[in-house]
Amino acid sequence: MSEYTVVGQTVARVDAVEKVTGAAQYGADVHPPGMLYGKLVRSKHAHANIRSIDTSEAEKLPGVRAIITQDDVPSGRRVFATDKVLYLGEPLAAVAATDPDIAEEAAELIKIDYEVLPVVQDVIESIKPSAPRLHGDDTKDGPNRREISGQIRKLSRDKENDHSDEISKLEAELEAYPDEVYYNISAESHTEAGDVEKGFAESDVVVEDTYVIPRVHQTYMEPHVSVASADSSGKVTVWASTQGPFAIRSGIAGTLGIPLTQINVIGTTMGGGFGGRFGVIITHVPAVLLSQKTGRPVRVQMTREEEFTDGRPAPGCVIKLKTGATNDGRILAREALAFWDSGSVSGASIGSTIRVRGVYKIPNLKISAYGVHTNKSGTAAYRAPGAPQAIFAGESQLDEIAERIGMDPVKFRLMNMREEGDTVPAGGEEPKVGYKETLEAVADAAGWWDREAGKNQGWGVAVGDWTNGCGPGGVYVSVHEDGSVRIFHGSMDITGTDTAISQIIAEILTVPYESVTIRRGDTDSAPYSTGSGGSVVTFTMGNTAKLAAEDAHRRVLELASERLNTNVDNLELKDGEVHIISAEPPKSISLGELAAYSLSTTGGPIVGKGSFARQASTPALAAQIAKVEVEPSTGRTRVLKLVASQDVGFAINPMAVEGQIEGGTVQGYAWAMMEEMQYDENGNVNPGFVDYRVPTSADLPTVESVIVEVPAPNGPYGAKGVGEPPITPTLATMANAVKDAIGVRITELPIKPEKVVQALKSNGHDA
Amino acid sequence: MAKLPVSLTINGDEHDLLIEPRKTLLAVLRDTIGLTGTKEGCSTGDCGACTVIVDGKAVTSCMVLGVTASEKEITTIEGLASDGELHPVQQAFINTGGYQCGFCTPGFIMASKALIDENPNRTEEEFRHALGGNICRCTGYTKILEAVLKAAEEIRTTR
Repeated sequence: MSEYTVVGQTVARVDAVEKVTGAAQYGADVHPPGMLYGKLVRSKHAHANIRSIDTSEAEKLPGVRAIITQDDVPSGRRVFATDKVLYLGEPLAAVAATDPDIAEEAAELIKIDYEVLPVVQDVIESIKPSAPRLHGDDTKDGPNRREISGQIRKLSRDKENDHSDEISKLEAELEAYPDEVYYNISAESHTEAGDVEKGFAESDVVVEDTYVIPRVHQTYMEPHVSVASADSSGKVTVWASTQGPFAIRSGIAGTLGIPLTQINVIGTTMGGGFGGRFGVIITHVPAVLLSQKTGRPVRVQMTREEEFTDGRPAPGCVIKLKTGATNDGRILAREALAFWDSGSVSGASIGSTIRVRGVYKIPNLKISAYGVHTNKSGTAAYRAPGAPQAIFAGESQLDEIAERIGMDPVKFRLMNMREEGDTVPAGGEEPKVGYKETLEAVADAAGWWDREAGKNQGWGVAVGDWTNGCGPGGVYVSVHEDGSVRIFHGSMDITGTDTAISQIIAEILTVPYESVTIRRGDTDSAPYSTGSGGSVVTFTMGNTAKLAAEDAHRRVLELASERLNTNVDNLELKDGEVHIISAEPPKSISLGELAAYSLSTTGGPIVGKGSFARQASTPALAAQIAKVEVEPSTGRTRVLKLVASQDVGFAINPMAVEGQIEGGTVQGYAWAMMEEMQYDENGNVNPGFVDYRVPTSADLPTVESVIVEVPAPNGPYGAKGVGEPPITPTLATMANAVKDAIGVRITELPIKPEKVVQALKSNGHDA
Repeated sequence: MAKLPVSLTINGDEHDLLIEPRKTLLAVLRDTIGLTGTKEGCSTGDCGACTVIVDGKAVTSCMVLGVTASEKEITTIEGLASDGELHPVQQAFINTGGYQCGFCTPGFIMASKALIDENPNRTEEEFRHALGGNICRCTGYTKILEAVLKAAEEIRTTR
């Protein structure tokens, strides 16, 4: 039996009824009187100089109320492209009209004269001297040009390994790289621990491979949307579908030069985010500009096609990885060289290349990562940003090593996992984390130890690690005369966090979960809160909520001590009543009575305040096992079993935690097997669900989730953030299962049927 | 654009409207009537977020022109609960945790209701395939399927 009554229990979420009845209000459901419809005018080319923009025809269309370009941005900060576009779909102007169809017609009537330029979409092409320069800085000291040491290109190809033609070509290109300079570089990151050359020299087995991971879209189901209303006094209200209303407020203030106090951001119910819903320019700023110009509320809502051309998806990357180990299974060294496709602006999560170190004792580690410009939109976070890509490479290669030294992949991982007190390569000291417990749990649940595989069937395992973030937040708690509790805060609910906060407060104030209600304020009224991303909310806001409830608890005991004429040390709050400990006959007073009494005291009502910024987080591990069957003639892979375990610290709401594990795992599956944003010299070529396939219920079996609880010292009740870890291992889990099934290592995702057939052929198999 | 008269029965209420022929049923429901529970996820009929029930059949309302829905009976997510009681499909989605962000949920609930009304005896595998036109990005479908099977069972036993 748990020592707790509300936390640790599955409860219906606070937003249950509104979400199953259609009452929840998402961004596009906001419709203030007189609202106009905005539409962005987008580049039709992936790289071009803009000679002119002619809006005259569009202005004549009845119903058009405003057309704006960069000239209409008083602050001068870049909102629209002016002289040059760098990707298909880059915004050049925006229209507001009385009807969405009229806005679309008007956008089509705007004439843009382009001078088309050469395009580069591939990171390895882009670093070459021959590539078009996206930011025109090919001078020796240009910011996007990097001198490189020859050393990092020495990662030579491992001839024994299986390769697709494409990967072989890529590796040959990298090896034959002609210069000592990389071009179109947006950022770089280098990490080193120990001496990798020594580590490789001492290794019995050294494996090296190149991994290619595609750009994928977060594909939240609600496209980007905002509604802005600027009144005549200059006050701006923005209804925004965003993970971080306070970040949007400061973003709008900074971009448009509007004082912070003149902006109120109202976060609407979010139709999924996964990291992609922090951007301020995409729809919020154009909506504000259009509203300022027309004096009417304006809604800017992206279509799904616009999401694919001008969203901020997860970066693709090319990772060369080399690992050395001894015959008895000790990993000695790992070296990585990564090129991340940052698109037209910097911002790809290149620092996450460090995740190739995994949760293993690797004494020698060297990592070089570069962000590379291409003619695509910029990128953003997607659930554990950068980790799925790096961990795909790291965990795929571990299986290759395990195979060569003849060791079971689970045992090999268990043997190398770090333990409490170990040194983290290029990091600090390892805290207590359930690495082994989590991997053992998934192996047991999946039946790994006595697994059987029929013809063309195989099993794959992988683990992925992630550490939740942390940030500032505030919570208020009020106790009312009927004993009910009201929570007030400013963080966006990210599928269950409001429920977790409510459970924590109910637990501390010992009231039924049902008597607690929670209210999210806007940026005008709520205390500051960090954005809902990076698995921060339950950790940060959970701790904040705990502090607020404890503050209220103190006031409750203080009031009870006055009422019951005894010292607070003699009192305890239990089941919504304050009791005098061991009093005979029992003596108590209810929370409601105390709340009523508080109104006539000099000290005032029961209001608890919680304010929190940061505490050290503890890493979390996700471990997964898949059993698949591959049909060699068609290359189709069917998942027969998918089991996912995770060290969540403590599951505040177990059903919600399972939901996070299941959902993240399926997103990882999709990245491994289905999803890929494709580009040619014209830009993105698959901007819709027919050509960019995401999984449906028909694609997968039930995901079996296994909760492991090794408490995090600073988490509320030991909880860790749970949202991000489950996506991190699945890419490699799937690739490892396919390798086990058909003996072919696929290093370039997604593992589409045609790729399997091609790999089988190049490996000498007859289809 | 010239408008045409249409007569729609939505959740039992009759609406006589003048609408542009280019407006989809989705646009009519959301923008004209103000029933925003039905969601727009793709506008191309591929995600199922806009699913409503027209004359007993689940349809993606972004693929239907409003004028062609004239004289038809339309049920949206707002019309499912009755007398303050949630429909068994709605209740099952709550009980099993079959939703997260909730954006796809109205579409999933409407599609599930139509499928169960048509045949509540489908197997899990059959429901998995029959719901293949609805996309959910949060749940991974495990708990959605659990909800649909529970609702089907309840509807079978109480019919």
